[in-house]
Amino acid sequence: MQADRLRQSGKRILQIFLQGGVSQLESWDPKPGTRYGGPFRAIPTSVPGMHISELLPHTARRMHHLSIVRSINSKINDHRQGMLYMERGRPAGDFPYLGSVASKYLAGPEATLPGYIHITTRGLNDQTAAFLGAQHAELTLRGVQPPDNLQLPGQLDPELDAQRESLRRQFDEPFARRRSNAELANYDAAFKQAELLMARKKIFAGEASPRDLERYGTHDFAKYCLLARTLLENGATCVKVTHHGYDSHAENFNFHLEQLEEFDKPFSMLLDDLHDRGMLDSTLVLICSEFGRTPKINTKYGRDHWGTAWSTVLGGCGVQPGAIIGATNAEGTEVADREVDSGHLFHTYLRAVGLDTYAEHDLPGRSIPIGDPAAEEIGELLS
Amino acid sequence: MRVDHTLWTLLAVSLMTALCGSLAAAPPLHQQIDALIEAQEGYVPDAAAQTDDAAFLRRVYLDLGGCLPSGEALHEFLGDTTENKRAQVIDRLLASEQHATRMQYVLDELLMERRADKHVPAVDWQTYLRQSVLDNKPWNVLVREILSADGSEPKTRPAAKFLLDRDLRREDVTRDLGRIFLGRDLQCAQCHDHPTVDDYLQRHYFGLTAFLSRSYLFKDPKSGKTSIGEKAEGDVEFTSVFTSETDATPPRMLDLPPLDDPSPAEELYKTKPAKDARAIPTYSRRLRLAEAMIDDANGAFRRNIANRLWALMMGRGLVEPLDMMHPQNPPTHPEVLDLLAEALLDNDYDLRYLLRELALTRTYQRSSQASEGSPADTASYSVARLKPLSAEQLAIAMMQATGVVDPTAPLDEAAQKSVATFAKMFGSAGQSTRFDAAAEQVLFLRNSPLIQSWLKTEDGLVADLNALKDLKDLKDLKDLETPELAETFYLRVYSRLPLPEESRRIAEYLNAASDRRLAIEQLTWASLVSSEFRFNH
Repeated sequence: MQADRLRQSGKRILQIFLQGGVSQLESWDPKPGTRYGGPFRAIPTSVPGMHISELLPHTARRMHHLSIVRSINSKINDHRQGMLYMERGRPAGDFPYLGSVASKYLAGPEATLPGYIHITTRGLNDQTAAFLGAQHAELTLRGVQPPDNLQLPGQLDPELDAQRESLRRQFDEPFARRRSNAELANYDAAFKQAELLMARKKIFAGEASPRDLERYGTHDFAKYCLLARTLLENGATCVKVTHHGYDSHAENFNFHLEQLEEFDKPFSMLLDDLHDRGMLDSTLVLICSEFGRTPKINTKYGRDHWGTAWSTVLGGCGVQPGAIIGATNAEGTEVADREVDSGHLFHTYLRAVGLDTYAEHDLPGRSIPIGDPAAEEIGELLS
Repeated sequence: MRVDHTLWTLLAVSLMTALCGSLAAAPPLHQQIDALIEAQEGYVPDAAAQTDDAAFLRRVYLDLGGCLPSGEALHEFLGDTTENKRAQVIDRLLASEQHATRMQYVLDELLMERRADKHVPAVDWQTYLRQSVLDNKPWNVLVREILSADGSEPKTRPAAKFLLDRDLRREDVTRDLGRIFLGRDLQCAQCHDHPTVDDYLQRHYFGLTAFLSRSYLFKDPKSGKTSIGEKAEGDVEFTSVFTSETDATPPRMLDLPPLDDPSPAEELYKTKPAKDARAIPTYSRRLRLAEAMIDDANGAFRRNIANRLWALMMGRGLVEPLDMMHPQNPPTHPEVLDLLAEALLDNDYDLRYLLRELALTRTYQRSSQASEGSPADTASYSVARLKPLSAEQLAIAMMQATGVVDPTAPLDEAAQKSVATFAKMFGSAGQSTRFDAAAEQVLFLRNSPLIQSWLKTEDGLVADLNALKDLKDLKDLKDLETPELAETFYLRVYSRLPLPEESRRIAEYLNAASDRRLAIEQLTWASLVSSEFRFNH
């Protein structure tokens, strides 16, 4: 099984989700001086010839770790559907999210943290695991708040806790006989996850150091990035951090100025820290969104939803660094070269961490390929 | 045996068809349902036995009463030799106060999807829902009230919560009308005809919007209360983002004919729009919405609620997800859905009638445990499905088992607070049959002071069990009369008698314990969080 082999490899994923749809023109595919280019300049990066928006000065100096895909046409302009396509790598259907797939195949049974942890301010609890089972579902952390109820009740010590847990299993075992067990397995998996979290509660206890806060910043997203670092250092397999607020139907430029300033520095610091700790070779870093934004600027100085020609960034874990894949035309209104969609990205992400995406999910009696058979990886990015 | 069964089923189905339309009494609905379920390909006769009496009683108490049967109710039921005692208990439950509370929670979750309070206080709304259930208000009447109340009259203001608390935001209300009352999520059709669902069209979405596009929130400058005003003019235009074609639509209910405004009256308004006055038009499109929604011609309205009640009782909708009814996503059992929907029409949208008939089916009363050697296949309804307890069922059942509350009396303030805590922790946003257990829920069950406090309740289950030894004149813990303890424990937690090996295990465990009270607490906690308790089975 490829899972057994992969679990030895210690590969992990850091996924930054810019929620609402980040504008490619104000980030990875600037078109200054053109009809729809907007007011911001493009600046050179640490990769000769590669320019990105001036709103990302810190990231620009680290682009030699990263690559840009500038030719996504996902054809979806709806937030939820766009997000689902990005996460599942398929335009429709009930498939597991990237993080749940990573949890299933990269996190071993001896993992010391839940395999897929999502740090976010808001959002519903999504069914991210689909048929992979609840132990691979996203564990949602509301910001840097530790989960409630991590502490055993006063009168119980670990020994008594283990005793009552064993009693619970004694009650459950006969009940599960000859009953359909998907729900029962889900329920049981949640007990295992809770146990992992209780055992690792110290992770949530410490305050960020003044030095880190100075480097990363003190706003929420900065703190989420610091928590993501701690989790990755402590054995988490996939950590997703959501940065909210890119849905700029009005005042696109002011919004992106603020949003990307908030994003730029902590993301860059996190990248540095992963690099300095020698983790970047084994950590896939990806920055994604549900779609981009229209080149056309509307009457409220906004840009609207745009799945037709947008960009994303990835790096680490052996991904070819400093590359630019594909291109849009001069005004950014369509893909001019090397068109890809979210299905290609999904294959690329998972192949970067060593998964054979053409293989089928490890499910007895079912035949479901891991990646969309209608798409393939972006081979140029993988060595 | 199998042949006989199939023959019988076919006979029943053909008889039913033959009798349809004639005046001869058709078999009762529950028999018709069973015949259809058991005639469908994939159904495996005898894959599961019917529930025994204890299992049936627990199941039906939870589903219809939202709580567990008391020990006395169980004893009485087990000793009852009347042939139709199951029907009797179903009728008693449906007429009970607990049923009103249970359905109040169900309807609240369905209609408000656990939103935070906005304009109408939750307590007024819940009282309104509860009273509606006690009156057995037909579903069409309830929905008409909910969609036509404008919030200006104290008496009907609670019913306006559906519209008011959504701030009458067009996108939200249109989408929720589609999802909650018509079983179809038209969201994608807001920007274009649905890309993958042929049946979800932009004109469906905007036809619904047009009923409400003239309505607006009006805040009374004196009382500060928000209610709904309506203008007499204005139309809805829409443009496809794909084709850029623009179209306009008057109000219309899905594919039913558009409802054009009547030719303008002399006076457009009963009350003209003004800064300090709520506009009331002579002709109200919003009031037409309520009528168009519940009109007999609108089949989607009754199919939706039929599917939702089926899901409530059986653990899964005939169409899943519950809000994706369209031709590309057909029901698993189309004839059953047709039958239920038409039965609602014939019985004036009487929800209590439908719940009763569903509870009477063999399908409902089948065991969730497969027979030896049979697969636990729930998709064909050969074996009953496990249903996770709702947040409210779970809270009340736990408090009842631990002796914190008696659900036949109204819940006191502390108990209501606990129910609210559970709703926040375990509640899903809207009716859903999916079960997903989150780590934070389990952390709550393991470590929250609330659950711990229930184990310590004076005169509660743990105390009662602990006191049992005093009834015996014991020289030694080893002589403990554990069958009595085990029986009390199983009856109060699981509503059944323990099997001999279960009694024995409890005896062994308690006899080995040095701190008996603590051991009973541990045992009780483990049973409360066990799957047998977490699921209605």
